[in-house]
Amino acid sequence: MTRVYKALSPFKETSIAPLIVFRIIFGSLMLFGTIRFIIKGWIEQLYVEPKYFFGYLGFEWIKPFEDDLIYLPFILMVISSIFIIFGFFYRISAFILFICFTYVELLDKSNYLNHYYFICLISLIMVFVPANRNFSIDVKIWPKIKSSLTKSWCINILKFQIAVVYFFAGIAKLNSDWLLHAQPMKTWLQAHHNIPFFGSFMQEEWVAYLFSWAGCIYDLFIVIFLLSTKYRPYAYFTVISFHLLTFYLFPIGVFPWVMIFFTLIFFSSSFHDKILDFFTKKKWREIIQFNNPFSVNKKIVKAFLIIYISIQILVPFRYLLYPGDLFWNEEGFRFSWRVMLMHKEGLATFYLIDPKTGRKSEIDNGNFLTRTQEDQMATQPDMILQYANILKNHYHGKTLHYGDQKFLIEDPEIHAEIFVSLNGRPSQLFVDKKHDLTKFKYNLYHRKWIEPFQE
Amino acid sequence: MDFKRINLVYLSISLLLLINFSCKKDPEVEQPNFNKGTLLSNLADNFIITSFNELESDFNSLESSFLSLQSNPNQSNLDDLRDQWRSSYLTWQTVKIFDFGPLRELAFKGGAGTYPTDTNKVNTNITNGNYNLGSVDNADAIGFSALDYLLFRTNALIDIQNNSNYTQYIFDVIEKMKNEFMQVNSQWSTYKSTFIASTGTETTSGFSLLINEYNRDYELAKKAKLGIPLGVQSLGIPLPEYIEARYSGISLVLLKESILALRNVYLGDEGSTTGQGFHDYLIHLERSNLASTIENTFNQILNKIDTFSGTLETEISNNSSELNELYDLIQGQVVNIKTDMTSAFGVLITYQDNDGD
Repeated sequence: MTRVYKALSPFKETSIAPLIVFRIIFGSLMLFGTIRFIIKGWIEQLYVEPKYFFGYLGFEWIKPFEDDLIYLPFILMVISSIFIIFGFFYRISAFILFICFTYVELLDKSNYLNHYYFICLISLIMVFVPANRNFSIDVKIWPKIKSSLTKSWCINILKFQIAVVYFFAGIAKLNSDWLLHAQPMKTWLQAHHNIPFFGSFMQEEWVAYLFSWAGCIYDLFIVIFLLSTKYRPYAYFTVISFHLLTFYLFPIGVFPWVMIFFTLIFFSSSFHDKILDFFTKKKWREIIQFNNPFSVNKKIVKAFLIIYISIQILVPFRYLLYPGDLFWNEEGFRFSWRVMLMHKEGLATFYLIDPKTGRKSEIDNGNFLTRTQEDQMATQPDMILQYANILKNHYHGKTLHYGDQKFLIEDPEIHAEIFVSLNGRPSQLFVDKKHDLTKFKYNLYHRKWIEPFQE
Repeated sequence: MDFKRINLVYLSISLLLLINFSCKKDPEVEQPNFNKGTLLSNLADNFIITSFNELESDFNSLESSFLSLQSNPNQSNLDDLRDQWRSSYLTWQTVKIFDFGPLRELAFKGGAGTYPTDTNKVNTNITNGNYNLGSVDNADAIGFSALDYLLFRTNALIDIQNNSNYTQYIFDVIEKMKNEFMQVNSQWSTYKSTFIASTGTETTSGFSLLINEYNRDYELAKKAKLGIPLGVQSLGIPLPEYIEARYSGISLVLLKESILALRNVYLGDEGSTTGQGFHDYLIHLERSNLASTIENTFNQILNKIDTFSGTLETEISNNSSELNELYDLIQGQVVNIKTDMTSAFGVLITYQDNDGD
């Protein structure tokens, strides 16, 4: 262990070029992604139209800004991305970008994507690495910070984060649905049977198995090959092919591009030197070769690195603390890089019961949730409880008038009958109508009210 | 390190061969040939275009029946107009499934009328003789349901004979529907090629739109045609004022027609013509159990509707337990078509395209 640690030696001096290139790529992709988000009208769809929001446990106090103010974090993201590209007030910009992006992601877990979480983490890391110490406006303003070297941990932590995404995505694929039944790949691929030339292959069983196994092997081993000098060019070619294929086949937006560009960090510093040489039209390191080490407390940096790395490695395994099927119960599912892993559809019918009269109403989910929220809620137990609470709070203390009758609703019961289909199986009962969901607390304990999964 | 000795290319090729080989051992079971493009063309040719053309000609007949009634306001001409209204309303039950493309863009579904009709609003409009039927305010004073009130209420004939504002209002409602739908129908002829070529899985593809709207229409039939009047959303208190076509009393006929249209689209068969529908796709995907469950449930629902002899309003007050059974049957089908069928097709039920992961 100590040998590995020494080999990685976090405080070794290394060229800053990879970090500079990464900063420019990161800023550009964030700029592109944010503008795309705004243009697609997703701010309105996701943060203006919904009447209710599904906050994360402990973060439910985070609410969207009212009216046009909700645009503010996005505008700040655009500005800070531009500042990051040019290295202008870099640390503050990186911090603002991290805060705004994370704020938006915390608003509603209906929009949770592993890759958004990945961006949160990368933007957090970017706050702490000195990616502005060359090729930036900051070094024009403060020439003293200019440096052509940096500490190796600043680059390795980024490699680590990318490795975590791939490796855990690979581990998550080591399950019988994925490897032995090629599900959900089979379902997803057959839907493409009309694409030109390859269409007929998409319905072939062996193609689904090939894609499943290849995807799993790719995720598990790609980082090892990216780390090897000899195999890196082949590995990077594989990265490009893999992500272009997923971009073509699946609705995954900008993320293939994020992964294709971010993995450039694995290339040697001389590779990054050449990129920078291309922009300066000369050998930049020969001309401005000097080092301005910044004094940091090595112990503090080490401690933070160990804590961060441990969290990243342990969090994806927290599902082991829960009994039952992970895909079914989704306890310990998020923040674990289970990317494009399962196909889950649900139908949730909620009922309001007036305890005084025993009368029952079916709830029209469309009156409370957007389609996206309803779809997400129907298969995710924590969101089911949150929705039951939304309904309870909505009806509690309300007087309902129907015809010439009046009902004052107090402490209503909320029941739900939910069916879920997982990875192409016929749907089965997920939540039984017998439970009053308002009686259950939203916490991290195992949820016994979920019907057990039947193979 | 050891991995440098492993030849990646060799590894992947052997793996590929291995998988290929192990799967080739299975005897090839020939699946019935299926193609989403064929399904979309079948629906376009045999359902969409035919029902759209039929509705356009229904509206023309509706207009001419109205003109006869206007020039000769007697009971038999009113009966004629009522019959025309009824047959166009029945055709609409098929057309409304396809609420995408021109039908959606020109917002015709809203233009066909929201029920229940606000009769006060209709009466005020008639008295004032000054209205804009296209305004949002009048959304529940137009369309089929406004005509239901205007043609079937007691004293309808007397008003048609004596109140020119009343007659004019009927005319304006008919003209609005007729003209707007003509536009929809003419745009469909160009939209057709886009639709049948759009077989992808993205949420904007023709196939995804079809599946999404199909499910939406089914759920709307469940909720609005039966559930709400029956009281399933109002603590079991029936709400007869929400009955569709309350004045003519054809609500159950419309419900049946709507379910029938949904069943036919599901099967892909129209009358004696058989074609590819969702049913064929499910069988192709080796989900024949699900396919027959859906077909049988549709038939059970239709048979159950046939057991009711009265109007929805009378059945609600006399026979609500049977209607609740019907509702449960209809509700039970939602999971089959919305959850099982849709997930088998690999289509995302959503309106928003997103960054999936």
